Order: sequence, then structure tokens, then C-alpha cells
Amino acid sequence: MSVINHDVIIVGAGLAGLRAAVEAAEYCDVAVISKLHPLRSHSGAAQGGICAALGNEEEDYPLWHAFDTVKGADYLGDQDAIEVMCNDAPRAIIEMEHFGVPFSRTKEGKIAQRPFGGHTRNFGEAPVRRACYAADRTGHVCLHTLYEQCIKRKVRFYSEYQVLDICETEGVVCGVVTYNIRTGEIDVFNSKAVMFATGGFGRAYKTTSNAHANTGDGLGIVMRHGIPLEDMEFVQFHPTGLYRLGILVTEGARGEGGVLRNASGERFMERYAPTVKDLAPRDMISRCMYQEVREGRGVGTAKDYISLDLTHLSLKQIETKLPEISTFAKIYLGVDPSKNPIPVQPTCHYAMGGIPTNVDGRVVTDEKNTVKIGFWAAGECACVSVHGANRLGTNSLLDLIVFGRRAGKDIVQFVRETKGKMPVQKDADKKVREKINNILSRTKGESVGKIRADLQQMMMDKVSVFRTEELLASACRDIKSLRERAKNAVVQDKGKEFNTDLLDAIELEFMIDYSQTIIEGAYHRKESRGAHAHEDYPKRDDANFMKHTLCLVDEGGHSEIKYKPVNMALAERNWEYREKFVAKERKY
Amino acid sequence: MKLRLKIWRQDSATAQGMFKTYTLDNLEKGMSFLEMLDVLNQQLVTKGERPVVFDHDCREGICGTCGMMINGRAHGPIGGITTCQLHLRSFNDGDELTIEPFRAKAFPVIKDLKIDRSAFDRIIASGGYISASTGSAPEANSILIPHDVAESAFDSAACIGCGACVATCKNGSAALFTSAKISHLAKLPQGRAEARARVVKMVEQMDKEGFGHCTNTEACEAECPMGVSVLNIAQMNWEYNKALLLGA
Repeated sequence: MSVINHDVIIVGAGLAGLRAAVEAAEYCDVAVISKLHPLRSHSGAAQGGICAALGNEEEDYPLWHAFDTVKGADYLGDQDAIEVMCNDAPRAIIEMEHFGVPFSRTKEGKIAQRPFGGHTRNFGEAPVRRACYAADRTGHVCLHTLYEQCIKRKVRFYSEYQVLDICETEGVVCGVVTYNIRTGEIDVFNSKAVMFATGGFGRAYKTTSNAHANTGDGLGIVMRHGIPLEDMEFVQFHPTGLYRLGILVTEGARGEGGVLRNASGERFMERYAPTVKDLAPRDMISRCMYQEVREGRGVGTAKDYISLDLTHLSLKQIETKLPEISTFAKIYLGVDPSKNPIPVQPTCHYAMGGIPTNVDGRVVTDEKNTVKIGFWAAGECACVSVHGANRLGTNSLLDLIVFGRRAGKDIVQFVRETKGKMPVQKDADKKVREKINNILSRTKGESVGKIRADLQQMMMDKVSVFRTEELLASACRDIKSLRERAKNAVVQDKGKEFNTDLLDAIELEFMIDYSQTIIEGAYHRKESRGAHAHEDYPKRDDANFMKHTLCLVDEGGHSEIKYKPVNMALAERNWEYREKFVAKERKY
Repeated sequence: MKLRLKIWRQDSATAQGMFKTYTLDNLEKGMSFLEMLDVLNQQLVTKGERPVVFDHDCREGICGTCGMMINGRAHGPIGGITTCQLHLRSFNDGDELTIEPFRAKAFPVIKDLKIDRSAFDRIIASGGYISASTGSAPEANSILIPHDVAESAFDSAACIGCGACVATCKNGSAALFTSAKISHLAKLPQGRAEARARVVKMVEQMDKEGFGHCTNTEACEAECPMGVSVLNIAQMNWEYNKALLLGA
């Protein structure tokens, strides 16, 4: 067993991982390991923007931003972390500008800002222009810029390496085991610090805006080391994803007058939300669409989608106000939106939950926030938690660069203070080798693709936007049988190089593990809050459920659920704004 | 619909490659080109044959991972899109498609349709970044940038690094890729300081990697999925000549 040595190992090369690498590489030897080339990371797909109370276009303060984030999170966000993020945001944006991000500009040459859902002035008074952007390619330019900064600091990249396990010696995390996708070789890395920035898990659902790589492997890996996952039941869906593909169609389409119709052409939102109709909140529209499909009023041969109708708008209106939608619909579906309605479906967009961490990105393992030594996490795979039960648009990119940097800083301090390096155990790669051999040796069973498709369909039908006691209980049973089936999943390709079939099989096991935490978290949360909308418990229940779920599932599928309190620092502080941060009904 | 696929198969970087023909039936017009390759691979794997290796990830035209020559054109017959955005409705029932990797001296084939584009990384590493220190706690808007300049820098920064420009150029030149990065940084005040040193280093690295020279055919702009303009190449040449005359 050969061992590769570095001071710091960062897994994942999206914005969180790269921002941490930039920070740490000033002082230590940093390696970034990614299953993709860094520039292909999914952070690059973020369009809308990144928010900060710069006040360039109108009066704005970090405190207002914090209020919106706390409220948007349906009071489940940790207020200490939210305060840190909102206060640090203006600095973080200016830093990105200095690194070379070509932000869009105002007439005077300042960084331009635009309004975004849920961001308001003066504690909910009216929308505020807070989102900084580089046209509709904000994530793309930020990703490329941070990659350049990593290159400049001589960060070592290991592209197309899939991390399959973390190494732990005497309770200290000290390395990772990887599978080289190009060669099929297994390598062991030894380091003082390990950071996970492995991204989201949209691929657990049938329809998602996430890329193919977003299979959430990191979440499965940490549970094998006894670390529970936090608030996994909160998964954000966007109502209008392109049919089958999940690619987002912006809310602007409905803002401009687009309406949703079922198979009989009925504008069904009039029935569910008589006043706001098609401009109801995202989660509500998604649920209504799903309800229509469930009751047999879906469109198409499989009756499984809804029509987004823009045909009553003028061609000029579509082309000038919604040019990208028009292009998207034509490119992906071959539909001309001025003549035919666009087929859409709710699409899985963002995971609020993940690996529990504190504000310095340190992974914490229990309800007392006990730190796991040598281990950090940031980004969508982590749960700080700034997004609580529901994330506001443009807060995700901010989360990445603020907490990526904080984790990087904390890692530097740790590396400097820690003299020796904990060695990896002699047989650190044994489990991974056994697992791969076991998978390759199976000869009879179902294909991985079939089981994964069934899992994705089940998660979509029973654990997405429409949740009931009955559906969740049946999902609990389904996941058990999927787990059994996966044990015999057969991999046809037995080769070593670019064996995606094998990787799919390994990813499937992780997927089943964390999907179970989503199901169990949802089943045990007998209330509705943010993205978790429970038909049988339609009200938020602060008395019983103002707390974070911690769910741990072991290899055999046994689960354990614990809860930890939400940090209410801003609501408990003795100051004039105290009242603003106390939980109240979320109304817009 | 039915399609005949003539696909480049090559076992390794050093192995001799060859075209193999596959026929797929029962394809749907609404299917994407990459989904068609998924279907083919599923069939190959079931038959115990080695699946076709190709790069892909986001499948929404932003990550820059996918890219192949389809009937002799980078990213296929439709302009302004990446391979993942190509759909079978762009073809006719019974068509034969020739599918090859992007070919250029500086982009060696790794396996089948997958190529090594690390030459791009090394061009960036030679100087494609801003190295000025950001200093401590800069005040908001310390750099004022005119709206038009910012827009123009953004257009240059639109490059997704797919390599279609190189593949489509008869000289295998990386001028569009390299110039996009150079122009993006040179247009911004924070990148201006090192502009001369940067252009010299990046152009030298580009030559060292074995990319050909630009002879202004503008094929790159025509095939670029992001519409990056050849005016970037003009800016690169201007910056380069200036650096040679005035010193880096």
C-alpha cells in the first residue's frame, strides 16, 4: 500500500473546496481531490447571483440580510452562523472582485445589484437589490477565478479521483482512500487535515437540476464513521424544471404572465391559491403540480407533467423579456414557447441538510457539538446551518465562499499547531478493496441502473414536495427492500479503466444510506416547516420541532434519530433587534 | 428512429484506434445525443462489450466537459451549443453519424472519445490569474469599473474551456481560448498591472504545448458554444506586440 502525503486534503473542487484551498495554500501543502476536472464542478452552473449588503443600489445592511435569512429558513437556521455569513458577505464579494470576477456594473461603475426572492429592506418592508451577479453566469466566473487563484498558489489537483473512504486513526481523521477513475487503482492519502466539500445529492431524485456527479457520496462516507447527518429532510424543489431533464425555467416566466395548466387546460392554481395564483411560493406551487399529476390530470402520454403556457404572450414579450427560456425550450425540448406550452415538472434543486459543522467548518458529531478532530466540511454537503428549513436564492454561493474560507483559515491554524501527523492504519484501504472485489464478483442480480431508477422514482413519489404519514411510512419500507436488492446488484463491466458501472454501484450504496436519513427525518418531523411540507401536519410546531434532526444510518440500515437545539443567538441577545429574530409565522 | 453510428474506438493513449459501426433502433427524436450514447453503452455492457468512454457532466451546457466531433463538426451540426445540448431531432431517421474525439496535437486521445485537455490547465498556470494581493479589508467598490468594460470582460470570461475552438481549427490553434483569458483579465483594472508579463508567458506556453498558429480563419468563433469573439485574439496580439515593444 503506497501512501501519498500532503498537509491538507480537500475533497471536492467546487467553490467551497477551492475557496478553502486558496486560504490554506498560503501556508501549507494542499491537495484537492475531485471526481471531475475542477472547472467542471457544479458550482459553475449557478446563475442568479451572490448576495451581500453592499448597499450599492440602495440602502442596505447586513442585519437586514440576516433577518431575511432567518425568516427564509423558517427559523431553523443557526443564528450565530447566519450573523457571521451576512456580516462577512460584503468583504467576501470585494475579495472575489479583486481576484478577477467580472461582476456586472452600475452606470457609475460600482458592482450592480438586483432583487431576489425573499431579500427585503428594513425587516420585510419591500424587496431590496442585494444580489451581485455576472449576468446569468455568476457561478461560472466565480469558479474559474478561484481555480486560477489555486493554480497561482500551487495547489496540487488530483482530478478524476473518487474518494471512497476517510482514514481514521485513534478517532482522528487523517486521510482518504481514493479510486483512480482513469486506472482503477486504489490510493491512500495521509494528511493532517481532511475537508469535505463534496456537494449536493440531487441525483437521489428522478428529476433534478443537479449534474450527474452530484450523487452525495461524501454523506454516505461520513455515516460509515458514525457521524450523523443533520436536517436531511429539508430538500428544496423548484416548481418549473424542464420535463424529464430538470433544467430550471426561471420564475420570471410566471412573473411575466405565464400560467400553469393541467391536461384539460385548466389553470389549476386558481383553485389552490385564488389570489396569488401562479405566483404562489415555490414549495406550494410544486405541491399543487404534484397533486394534479397524482389525481390523473397530468399532461402527456404518461400523464406526468404540467404545461407552462406562454402562448398568450406576444412574441416580442417572450423574446425580449424571456430570451433564455425561449432558447432553452427550443434547444432541449424542441418547443417554441410562443406556439406551444412548455412541459415542466418540479425539480430537485438544493439540499439544506448535510454533514453537521460549526461556524469554522469543523465537523461536529453529536447534539453537544463535539468536534471530530482533523475533519472539516463546507458547502452544500455541509449543514452549518445557515439555510435552516429553506434556502433563499443567492445565499448558496455566499455560503460557499464565506464558510469555505473560514474552514481554510481554521485548517491553517490546526496544521500549524499540530506537530506530528497521525499515520494512516496499515490496512486503511482494506475495506474499500473488499467492497470493490465483492461488487465485481457478483454474477446474478439486477442491474445497478434499474435499482437506482427505482430509488429515484420512489424518492420523487413519496419524499419530495408532497409528504404524508402514509407515503413516508411506505418509503421506510421501500428503502429496506432497495437496500436488500442493492446487495446483489450486478456490474457488467469488470474492467479497470473508466469503469463507470462500478462507480455507479458504489454510489448507489451511499445513495441508499443517505436517502434513508431523508425519509426517517421526514417521517419523524410531525410538522410542516420550510421545504418539509407534511399534509397531515400542515402547521409549524415550534414547541416540539424547533430543533435540528440528527440521523445516523448504519450499514445494515438501522437508524438512530437525535435532535439538537437551534442556535438563537440573535433572538436571545439583549439588544433592540431581539424581537425581530424571535420565531413568528412566515408570511410574505 | 434508427441511426447508424460510426464511432472512434481506441483502447488507450498508445493503442491504434479505429472506427466501429453500431446500429441503434427505436430511438426517440426527443432524446439528447448523450442519452443516445447512454443507450448504446447499456446495450454494449449487456452484451459483455466495453462501453464507449466519453466525457460529460452537467448536461446543461455550462460545465464544458463534453465535446466531440460529430459528422466533422465540433459539438455537431447545430451552432452555438455544446454536445450535451444536441438532440436527435437534429438528425433524420436512417442517418449515419461519424463520431470522433476532438483531434489536435496538443489534445492526445486517452480512450475512445475522451481526450487530455490538460494543456489548457498549463496555459492558465503560466500566468492566467491575478496575483496582486487583495490586501486587508478593502472598502466596498474600491475599484470602479465602467459598465461597458465590465460587460466586455464578462463576454471574454464566458469561455467554458471545452476545446471546440482547437478541434475545429485547421491549425489546431488555442488562440481563442488563450486570448479569452488574457482579454478578460487585461480589460479589468485589477488585472491590468500584470497584463504584459501575463500575455508573454501565456503565449509562450501555448506554443510550447504544440498548439498551431492562428491564421484568422475565424472557424473557432463560428463553432464556439459560448460565442466567444475573435476580437479577443486581436486584443491578445495587440497586448503581445505591445509587451514585446515596451518590455514585459
